[in-house]
Amino acid sequence: MKRAFLSLPGPMVVKVILAIIIVVVALIALNYIYDWMGNFLDSGGNIG
Amino acid sequence: MGNLAVMSDTVQRDLPRTRTPTPKRSVFTRIVRVIGWTSIGLGLFLLGFLFHQLFVTTFFAQRANVALEAEAVEYFEETEVSQVPYVPTGVQEAPAEGGSIDSSGPTGPDQPVGGPDEPKFIFIEGQPDRGQAFAILTIPKIDRLSDGWAIVEGVARSQLKTGAGHYPTTPLPGQPGNSAIAGHRTTYGAPFHNLEILVAGDTIEVETALGVSIYEVRETVIVRPTEIWVTQDRPGAWLTLTTCHPKLSSRQRLVVFAEMVSGPNYETIYG
Repeated sequence: MKRAFLSLPGPMVVKVILAIIIVVVALIALNYIYDWMGNFLDSGGNIG
Repeated sequence: MGNLAVMSDTVQRDLPRTRTPTPKRSVFTRIVRVIGWTSIGLGLFLLGFLFHQLFVTTFFAQRANVALEAEAVEYFEETEVSQVPYVPTGVQEAPAEGGSIDSSGPTGPDQPVGGPDEPKFIFIEGQPDRGQAFAILTIPKIDRLSDGWAIVEGVARSQLKTGAGHYPTTPLPGQPGNSAIAGHRTTYGAPFHNLEILVAGDTIEVETALGVSIYEVRETVIVRPTEIWVTQDRPGAWLTLTTCHPKLSSRQRLVVFAEMVSGPNYETIYG
């Protein structure tokens, strides 16, 4: 994890900003994937 | 002797330092390592998925539903209620499980009940917009619903994430016909989590702009998700609740049929 962080380009401030952006995008993507998968657990109960 | 010791030290210090060679991993070890890390990753992903579905969605849905209930109460005050002549529709018998209903419309005379001299009137409200919270569902027997759960218009995924959803093609609760409502069973607040405990005779209350209508459970059935007959029109005034079945699966649907026993339009429909 530390190695991946240090391999980000730019000075430390840029690295931190990039890391935050990557984490936020990853969480949003994960939320969408979980949401889509959740349809198999419980689609909402509608018929038709 | 002393000189020899000094010389030996010097020789040792001048020798190039050699790193201990790390043992080369075999292909088998590498494969096991990859499988191990993949399994850990997959396990964390699935644990995250379950946590997200069972807790995160419910946390947000419950918060959203509190706001929707307030929105529904506001809607009751703002909505205009009017009276129109009552024309009964769908006088066919309710179908058996797996049956179908002819929804070709009114079969009786196209005039208000009671004849032209003595028309009966029902209270109606306007059709709410999609996503609008317009009613509150209360089922005293189910803990989760004993304090009420907002019903929104529409059964799209986005609408069912916050409240129970009213099928827009069916009449509104409290009005004649078969009003159908869908809700989540295990995620997004799971309003219909324990719907299976309802038996014939249990009561369901729905508050709308018209007032409170009370329904009594008549029948519970399990059907396939494609059996749309359950939402089709029925004679009288009915409330049909649909949810996924079994829990943690959307393979089938649990359907509860309840008939109106009290409400602003009860006398007109059944009188």
